[in-house]
Parts: sequence; structure tokens; C-alpha cells
Amino acid sequence: MATVIHPEARRRVQRLERIWLDRPGVLGWLTTTDHKKIGILYLFTSLVFFGAGGVEALLVRTQLLTPNGTTLSPGAFSEVMTMHGVTMIFLFVIPISTGAFGNYLVPLMIGARDMAFPRMNAFSFWVFAASGIFMYVGLATGNGPNAGWFDYVPLASRTYNPGSAIDFYALGLIFNAISSTAAAINFIVTIFKMRAPGMALNRMPLFCYAFLAVSFALVFALPALSIDCVFLELDRRLGFSFFEPANGGTVLLWQHLFWIFGHPEVYIIILPAFGIATSIIPTFTRRRMVAFPMVALAEVLVAFIGFGVWAHHMFAVGMSTITTVYFAAASMIVVIPSAIQIFAWLTTLVTGTPIFKTPLLWIIGFIVFFIIGGLSGIMFAAIPFDQQLTDTYFVVAHFHFIIFGAAVFPLLGGLYYWFPKVTGRMYSEPVGQASFWLTFVGSALTFFPMHIVGLLGMPRRVYTYQSGLGWDGYNMAETIGAYILAGGLMLLVANLVVSYFRGPKAPDDPFGGATLEWSIPSPPPHYNFAVIPRVTTPYPMWDEQDRIEDMRKLERGEMVLDGGHETPATSVLDANWDEVIDMPSDSPWPIVTALMMSGVFAMLLTGHLVAMCVFLGLMALAVAAWHGAEPEHEAAT
Amino acid sequence: MLAGLALVLLISGCGQSQGGQSTLHAESDQSRKIMHLWWGMLAAAVVVFAGAIVLLAIAWKRRNREGLPAVGKDENVSTGLVVAFGIVVPVVCLITLFFIADIGVVNATSAPKPGQAQMKMTVVGHQWFWEVRYDGSQAVTANELHIPARTSVNVRLLSADVIHSFWVPELNKKVDMLPGHPNNIELYADRPGVYRGQCAEFCGLQHANMAMAVYVDTPARFRAWLANQARPLAPPAAGDARAGENVFMTQQCASCHTIRGTAARGTIGPDLTHLATRKTLAALTIPNDRANLTRWVADPQSIKPGNKMPGLNLNATQLRQVVSFLEGLR
Amino acid sequence: MSGLNVERKRISMPAGWWGTLLFVATEATLFGTLFATYFYLRFNTPQWPPAGVPEPKVALPLILTGVLVATTIPVFFGARAALAGRARLAWLLFFVALVIQAGYFGVQVHEFLGDLDKFSPHDSAYASIYFTLLGAHHAHVVVGMAIEVWLLAKLLGGLTPYRLVGVRVAALYWYFVNAVAIGVVLTQVYPAL
Repeated sequence: MATVIHPEARRRVQRLERIWLDRPGVLGWLTTTDHKKIGILYLFTSLVFFGAGGVEALLVRTQLLTPNGTTLSPGAFSEVMTMHGVTMIFLFVIPISTGAFGNYLVPLMIGARDMAFPRMNAFSFWVFAASGIFMYVGLATGNGPNAGWFDYVPLASRTYNPGSAIDFYALGLIFNAISSTAAAINFIVTIFKMRAPGMALNRMPLFCYAFLAVSFALVFALPALSIDCVFLELDRRLGFSFFEPANGGTVLLWQHLFWIFGHPEVYIIILPAFGIATSIIPTFTRRRMVAFPMVALAEVLVAFIGFGVWAHHMFAVGMSTITTVYFAAASMIVVIPSAIQIFAWLTTLVTGTPIFKTPLLWIIGFIVFFIIGGLSGIMFAAIPFDQQLTDTYFVVAHFHFIIFGAAVFPLLGGLYYWFPKVTGRMYSEPVGQASFWLTFVGSALTFFPMHIVGLLGMPRRVYTYQSGLGWDGYNMAETIGAYILAGGLMLLVANLVVSYFRGPKAPDDPFGGATLEWSIPSPPPHYNFAVIPRVTTPYPMWDEQDRIEDMRKLERGEMVLDGGHETPATSVLDANWDEVIDMPSDSPWPIVTALMMSGVFAMLLTGHLVAMCVFLGLMALAVAAWHGAEPEHEAAT
Repeated sequence: MLAGLALVLLISGCGQSQGGQSTLHAESDQSRKIMHLWWGMLAAAVVVFAGAIVLLAIAWKRRNREGLPAVGKDENVSTGLVVAFGIVVPVVCLITLFFIADIGVVNATSAPKPGQAQMKMTVVGHQWFWEVRYDGSQAVTANELHIPARTSVNVRLLSADVIHSFWVPELNKKVDMLPGHPNNIELYADRPGVYRGQCAEFCGLQHANMAMAVYVDTPARFRAWLANQARPLAPPAAGDARAGENVFMTQQCASCHTIRGTAARGTIGPDLTHLATRKTLAALTIPNDRANLTRWVADPQSIKPGNKMPGLNLNATQLRQVVSFLEGLR
Repeated sequence: MSGLNVERKRISMPAGWWGTLLFVATEATLFGTLFATYFYLRFNTPQWPPAGVPEPKVALPLILTGVLVATTIPVFFGARAALAGRARLAWLLFFVALVIQAGYFGVQVHEFLGDLDKFSPHDSAYASIYFTLLGAHHAHVVVGMAIEVWLLAKLLGGLTPYRLVGVRVAALYWYFVNAVAIGVVLTQVYPAL
């Protein structure tokens, strides 16, 4: 629908453009509720944190280049190592996948004009940004969290960690969880209620299935972490005894609650990558996904079964045999949905006609790393093996193959794949391929030797190691690999930045994609779809008749919904038309509420409870003002 | 890449000198079973990975042709392959692995049953050293523990502060040491030798420098060693050592360390009664010789920054004397 | 509104209601975690409550919870009235519910402070989870009352479709709080049963 030549159609499009116009300038960005702009805000903010986490990684690797390194003192190492984990998980990979990719693409893929709750979407972003700044204020003031990203007690208790480092951690994570919970609720309601008419649940793109699964997992997993952090703060600041063995508490309570969140978290990390892979593969193999229903079910099952396996992170703490054996069995069951997906992807690649361009290369890299990481993960389900190799570099290898190789590679491929849609420009294909190979080789060199050095007995989270144990050469190789990896990533960034300014103009659909985002102009207009599309299969762009019919509707004035900031709501299962919803436009209340909430958390950190109550009151007022602005009311006046 | 890995592992697995920390160098039945489990799983993993690479290679080679080789474009076959290799084959492999590893090997490496062991001892994890005690003996030492060969030793694992983890890979798996939650591990070494272990749960600033040495002796040598360790200190004769004992008692050392047979009864740092019998200091961080001992006592923070021993500001004479005293703690 | 050939009858609950349902799901999981923590600690402790800590009262907490759960009735009928367009009746019913809930809250605060005088979370894991569980529940009651206050203020200006969703949301939230209250009180009095 790029060039609109029919005069009636053009008039309607211009009317839509006027209705959906954003406030200009910085104020526009601060008050936007447009899911695309919010997605861009998330993208840049999470990339900044990726940079921070990357610098932290390079500092760790530089320190470990040789035995007795002097780059970082033991205290600095503890903070850098901890913040690397916290940053990468909470401030990079979750926000970029849910906040950037999810926010930008889910409404487009389901044929909607925005998310179900646009102001809450903005609020999620500002809270995320604030929580990241909150934790980095800790690092910058010499109070960086320093007990590892899973922060076990008693090391994290007041006795062994006086000062406020752990308070930055615990309060920062509660703060961050608010953002993710709000975003997850937004995704579920959007996917349930805002799908284009005709897009029944079994005609929804696999990308959306992945995001539905991720969102449910977030809703049910985050409370465990939040409560754990609440208990920790109560123990630390008010002298409670949740984790105090002398008073009937137990240190294992922290671990159980943490991993009840922590294991679903790793599926939360990987599911968006599955979604991106299942978007890129059909496009670049020119065929539909093999066994689509099984893949959709597998994406949902991974999230569900993932809730039952948490104590496999605790095989060395001395639980009863029957408990450990149960968790090992459950951990093996959760392999099956992933195996189904891997095989479906491979079969699709073999039976299709793959085009080995940059986006697909990243997915191939993802498959390779996912298989290796998955295999080492299965090994950990063998309890005695786990009890030898947990807390060594072998497990560091496993989770970096999964998190970096399998979760991040599709994100990087996705940056390339959707770059033309978002920016309207094409990236450089040769530089894209070079950035892939450099990153792939760097990753392999960084993370593969970690398996070996773990088998040779090197524990994790050590700021130095002794010579003569056989670890020296591998550590050096890993550090060199890390710098190569960094080089690959910088080449990727350079490619995208230069292409943004100087790349050739991209068509609406440069790759022949199957989902609805490719049906609208590049970059998309504010209102996304001039005509709410009719959908009959999960590959709407390959149903040419439907798309021709949409064009005709635009000319006739059907399904244009240009009476205001309008979008349709449909029923949950079958996406039957229900009603027209009036969407809010720009609002200052999300950022104001987020700022007041930041005040609440800052005062909780410093212990100024009266000031905290003031901020809480102001926050309540902001929320009241937010809900006092009623979109329908405004549209009617 | 994988062939290289296998080669490297084989090379590094064999010929490892004594005192290494490799899981691939098994010196007990438990470690050996775990190692064999590893090699078996690696073999299976290599097969699976190779299969996937073959598929990717086929996808590359046949990139201009649709459908499967020989079979063609039948979607049912494709779906059937996903069911076969995505469900059936993994289920079979996982069930097999489950029975071998989580029923079989688990039994062989499980915590010792009460009454089964021939010897009992206790190790208490501290930030950042190991306190070692033996049931039925007055002996207390630190960081270097001795056990007799071919003897089932039940080690009770405790913690004085945060979570640590007891791990001697060549002898057995790791077991965490949690405050308020005692655990047990069985050590059974096939033959005499020295085996290195390291704390395997992040426990603070000097987690990296919390290693231990397990000396496996012949039973006779072990009994002699234990008897010596159990003796309280005989007072030093004269000279620097005698003066050094005085320095020890008056310059804060006694407030943190115990030397049985003297007035020093501190419990914050390790027991020093037979310090001179140990080959290393500060949990295997530096060798135990005069030069290193002097460096340590003069400025512990420069060697193990963040550890709990402060610099003592001794003058050169006091330093010389107290080191002579410590060297006599045999 | 848009001059299209579309129907205006609703076939599916509004987005705001779904959002609240999911929010309720997170909060329910939160309470589930608190309950699980209570019983995990209980089975980790030989004496429960520990020595020196009085057993919880049974009658008063149960009666109070009964009163709170009973406010489900005015809330339910208030929502029904709003859906039927009867704004004044809805306002009255929610006001009645708010008054009863405020009374409930007042007594609960008094009990909470009284308990704090008798045993302290510094001294036992039992007290730690006891006060945290009750505190979490009371915090949810406060939020529910705040929502009602806002709703009552808004309804003075009449009913709009947006405010109608607000009424349904407030009702759903209160059904959840009242259901959880049953779980909370049973856990609270459990050692005395």
C-alpha cells in the first residue's frame, strides 16, 4: 500500500495522518504513546546498557587475560562481574526483546494501530530507564551491587554486606519488575483483544505466540523475585529474620524464590529469539514453517514447563535425593519443546530454498549455538555431572552459548531484518555478512574454551587464578575472542548507523516477508494501517487476494476508522469484530508517574520514609490525573 | 572445531601433574564414574551436533531445490521427521541418560550414610580459609587436610559465615557449605598423593584465593601426622623464637588466632598451632617459606587484598622475631 | 462514531478488564509466594510459633474477614447498577462498601500494632512472615479503598463508557482482595487450629 493513487483513498490517508500526528520535538518523545516511538526509545536505551554490560565483560576478560591480573581489584571485580550479569539480563536483553522488538512489531503483525494500553506502554519504558539509572547510580557512587547477579544470602545480608550496594540491587530489581510486569500485561491484552478481524488465534504469526508465552511467563515469574527482594530489604533494613538460621529462617529461602523466578527468566530471555527466528526463516526459505501448530505449541510449552525445574540450579546445596531426581527429570522434559523447534527450523531450511543473506546467517549462527548450549544444558540434568561442573566455567560456557549465542544472535539478525522497515533504508549486505562472521568467530573463541577450562577445574566468579593449573592459555584465548566479538558488534553498529544516513531507500517489502508489517510503508506511518486488514492465514502477506481486497476497501472507505484515534477490538479466540476503541494520544502522565515512582524508590534507598510517603502521594495523584484523561470523552468533545 | 576439542581434552586429561584440579583426572571411584558419564555424554552430543551440521550443509547445497533429498515435497514426511527427531529420539536418549546418570551414578556419588564411614571429620568454611577438625582428636588445622588412602572419610561441611562450597574435583563432586544447614560428603582416595580443591560458591572478595590441598597419606603416615597435629605447642627454647612468642601475644595476633598450648585463643583466623607443617599460606595463595611468611605478616593486604588480617605495623625486629616463632610451630 | 457498517454490541470483556485480570494474576502469584514462604518456613521449624510468641487469635480475625468478604455484596450490586446505567445507586453501594472496608481496616491496624508489641519480626522467621503477609494484605486493602475514593469522585460527574470500565475494574479488584483475604486469615490462624 505504498503509493496511494486513488483520490478518495489519498484523502482518507491524509485525514489519518492529521489525526495521528505526534507533538513535535523533545516534548513529543517525552509524552509519546505511539508504540513505534516507544519501541525506538527502548531500543536506544537498551543498546546503551548493552554497551555498559559489554564494557563490564571486557573488563572482566582483561583482568583474566593472565594470572594475577591487575586491571580490577577484588572489590571492583565483584561489582563489575555482578553488574555485567544484572545489566545484560534486566537492562539489555529483556528490554530490547520485549520493549523494542515486541513493542514495535506486535501491533504491526496483528494489524492493530497501537498496543491495548498506550500510556502504560510509555510508563513501562520510563520506569525501565529509571530503574537502570537507579542501579548505575549505585555503581557510580562506589555502591555497586557486588554479590553476583543472583545475590545469595548471607553474602548479601547486612552482616556481610553493610553499605547500600545490595539495597541498590534489591530495590532496583523491584523497580525494574514493575516495568516488565506492566509490559507483559500490555502484550497479553493487546494480543488477545486487538488482533485484526479474522486473525483467530491459530492464524497468528509465531512471533506473536512467542510474545504471548513470554508475557505469561513474566506475569507469573516476576512476583517470586520481587517478594524475595522485599524479604531481603526487610531483613537488611528492618532487621527481619527471613534468612537468619538462628531465628528459624533459612538461607535456602532466598535461593528457592530466586530460582522460581530465575529459571522461567531464562525462557523469557530465549522466547523472543524463537519468535524472531520463526519470522526470518519462512521469509528467507520462501516457504511456510514446517509443523506450524507443533512449533506454536512448543513455544507455549517451553514457558509453561519452565516453571517446574528451578531447583536444578541448586543441585549442590544438599537437598534430598528424591527432590533432586524430580527436578532432573523435569529438566529433561523441558528439552522436548526446544528439540521440536530446532528440528522444525532445520527441516524448513532443508525443504525450502534458503537465501543465505545477513538476517538468515544470524539465525544459522543462532541454531548452531543453541544446539551446543542446549546439549551442555542437557548434561547438567545428569545430577552427578552437575555436581562436578556447576559453579565452574563449564556452566558459564553453557549459559553464554544460550544467552549470547541463542538469545542475542536473533536479536542482531532482527536488527538487520527490520532495519529497512523501521528506517526506510537498506543496510550494506557485505558489511552485514562481515559483522556476522566476526561476531560468530569471536563468540566461539570467547565461550567455547570455557567448557574446557571448567572441566579443568576453574571455578566461576574468580577475579584471578594461579598459573600451573592448565588454565592460562584458554583464558588468554577467551579474552582475545571477546575483543574480536566486540569488534564484530561495533561493525554491526557502524553498518546500521552509516546506512541510516546514507543507505539506499528501501522498498516496503525488501525480503518478501509473510507478516503484516511488510504491507505498510517503510518507515510506517503513525497510524500503521490505513485499512484494518482482513486476515485468513498466518502468512497474510502471501495471501495476495486479501491484500488486494484491503486496497479496494481503502477506496470504498471501509475499515478505515478515521473518526478519531481509533482501532478495533476483537474477541479473544476468533478475533470477531467487537467494538471501536478510542486510543489516547500524547500524555505527560506516564513520565510524571515514573518520575514520582523514582522518588519513592530513591527515598526507600536512603531511608527517608516521610519523603517516600510524599512521593507516593504525588504518584497516586499522577495516576489519578492519568485516568482522569478519558480518550473517548476527548474524542466526543 | 570439535575434533580439536576432543584432542585438546585428551591431551589435557592425561599426564596432569599431581596437585591439579581437573575433573578429568579421577582419583576416586566417584570422580571416575562422573568422568565416564561426561565422556559418554560428550560422544552423544558430538553425534547430535554433527547431525545438525550435516542438515545445515544439505540446506546449503540444495538451496535452489525445494523438498527433502529423495523424498521430495511431502509435508507429511517433513512433519513426521520433526516428530521423530524432535520428540521420539530425544525422549529415548533422555530416558537412557536419566537412568544411567540420575539413578545409577547418583547412587554411587550420594552422601555417605551414617555409620558407613571409617573416619569422620569436619571442615568449616570461613571467609577465606578452611577450618579442619577430626572426630575423636584434638587436632585443628587449616587449608591443608590429610586423609588416609583407601579409607571412607565422612566430611561434615559447615559454614561460619556465608555460603561456601567444598570441591576437590579429583576426588568427588562439590557440596555447598551453608550456615544453618550442615551437609556431608564422602572422600575416598584410591592412592596416596596430593589433590587440589577450591571454594566453588562466590563468598566475597577473596573467593578466588580460597583453595585447599588434600594430602592422601598411607594410613601409618596419616596417624603420625594426626598425632602431631593434636599435640599442643611446646614452648620455644630461647632467642628470636621466644621473643617472637611474646610479640605474638602482645601485638593483636592472639586476638584472632589460636595456638593450642598458649594463651592465644582467637577464633577469627585459622588455627596456627602447627603452621610450619603446612606447605602453603593463606589457603594456598603463597608458599610457606621464610620470605613469603615475612611478606605476609608484614603486609597481608598486599598479597590477599580484602582478607580479614590487618597490617600490624611491626618494626623490623618484631617482624623477624615473630616469623622465627611461627617457623617453629611444627 | 466512524460511520462504518459495524455493530456496537459487546461480545468480549473490555481491554481494561482483561488488564486488571492479569494484574490480579500477578498479585495472586505474589500472595501464593507469601503463602508458600509461610509453609516452607513452618516445615523448617520444629516449634511454630516459636517459644515466647503467643498463638494467633482465631475468632476476631475470622469475624473481621467475614465482614470484609461481605462487602463483595454491595460491590457486586454496585457494578450491576452501573452496567444498567443507574449511576446514583452504584455510587451509594460503593460508598457503603468503602465505609465498611474502612472500618475493617481501622480494626486491623489496631490489631497489627498490638501484635507488634507482643512479638517482633527481629526475633523469628515466624514473626517476619506473619507481619509481611498481613502487611501485604492490608496494603492491598488500602489500594482498593483508594480506587473506590477515586471512582466515587469520578462518578459524581456521571457515567461514561470509560468510567464504566473503571467500575468493573474496581469490582474485579475487590473480588480478588476478598478472596485472598480468606487465604490470608486461614494462614494467619493456622497454628491455633
